[in-house]
Amino acid sequence: MSGDGGPATPAPTAAPAPTAAPAPVALGTSVLEAWEVFRQEKDGDPMRHGGSVMAPDAELAVHYARELYGRRQESVRLWVVRRGDVLDLDDPDLLQPPLDRSFKKPGGYVMRDKLAAARAQSGQAKPKARSK
Amino acid sequence: MTGTVAAPPTTGLADLLLSMADDEFVIGFSDSEWTGIAPLLEEDVAMSSIAQDELGHAAALYGLLARLAGTDPDAIAYDREPDAYRHCRLLDHGRGDWAMTIARRFLYDSADSVRLDALAGGGWAPLAELVGKIRREERYHRMHATAWLDRLARDDGEGRPRLIAALETLGPDAATVFAPLPDEPALVEAGILEAPMLDLEVRWRTAIEPVLIEHRLPLPPPMRQPDRARLDHGQPFRWLWGEFTSVRRADPGATW
Repeated sequence: MSGDGGPATPAPTAAPAPTAAPAPVALGTSVLEAWEVFRQEKDGDPMRHGGSVMAPDAELAVHYARELYGRRQESVRLWVVRRGDVLDLDDPDLLQPPLDRSFKKPGGYVMRDKLAAARAQSGQAKPKARSK
Repeated sequence: MTGTVAAPPTTGLADLLLSMADDEFVIGFSDSEWTGIAPLLEEDVAMSSIAQDELGHAAALYGLLARLAGTDPDAIAYDREPDAYRHCRLLDHGRGDWAMTIARRFLYDSADSVRLDALAGGGWAPLAELVGKIRREERYHRMHATAWLDRLARDDGEGRPRLIAALETLGPDAATVFAPLPDEPALVEAGILEAPMLDLEVRWRTAIEPVLIEHRLPLPPPMRQPDRARLDHGQPFRWLWGEFTSVRRADPGATW
């Protein structure tokens, strides 16, 4: 188990990468697996990662997710996913390539000077900051 | 909820409320004994949460009874001697091992569910409304107990023999949830209770027998001593009573 039902927090111990086969934990004759729990706080909100539970199967995983992330009525929906079923991508060549990619971000285009020139041309004043 | 409750249409209601409240109170405290020592951390939270639910149901039922009688719900819950509690004998066996707890939860939750169903459409609104809310929480309790019963029954280690032993120990007392109450005919007559308790027992057996037969588990035999079903609490309950009243008795009348 990790997390507290609030925003996702890192587990105190390093969790294995999702695609790495999690080390099975024996409980009697059954084997516990990790399940990731996503929760929606109210209708229309995005699903956010809440944390994880250990359980021997899907049915008990849902029960435990309900107890750990829903018993205080803090969720209107839960998604419970076997950790081994999560597709994991952390390849730096795909996600953090070494070349400059700043032109792919909105911040790559500096609009201030173009806006000032357009205003000067049309004779409009810069709009005042919106009052709160 | 505050204020007074309109006079109920019949006698017998106080006995019904007390029996239900004590059932929920005692199973809640028994299950809370797993807090910190359940088979896994997740189950520890689950069983503790279910135990809290039961204490919440007990508190609501004691509250209804207290307003009916013009007394204090805490006094009803904590200030009686062990002999004055009216929970059924099914809940008098002590916590036992995990299989005992699951067997008791399965037998009690399934019986409580039939009892709640027979009260939900009842003619006394305060109870019918409360039962409607309790029923929605009990649905999860039944799912949880049945999930564990399935797992223990299918276990090829020590789970199955322990479950069978637990069902054999509890079986003769399982139906005590439905022991006839004093003035029960008046409750049925007034439309508060849909049918006599012994009819509810038949419904309960019809509901659980397919599950037990499917797993080749022992069926509960007929209830022994129905007239003493909510009396004669033995040593395991006296010990539990000592536990759950210890703080209250340490400083009688203290406020929080």
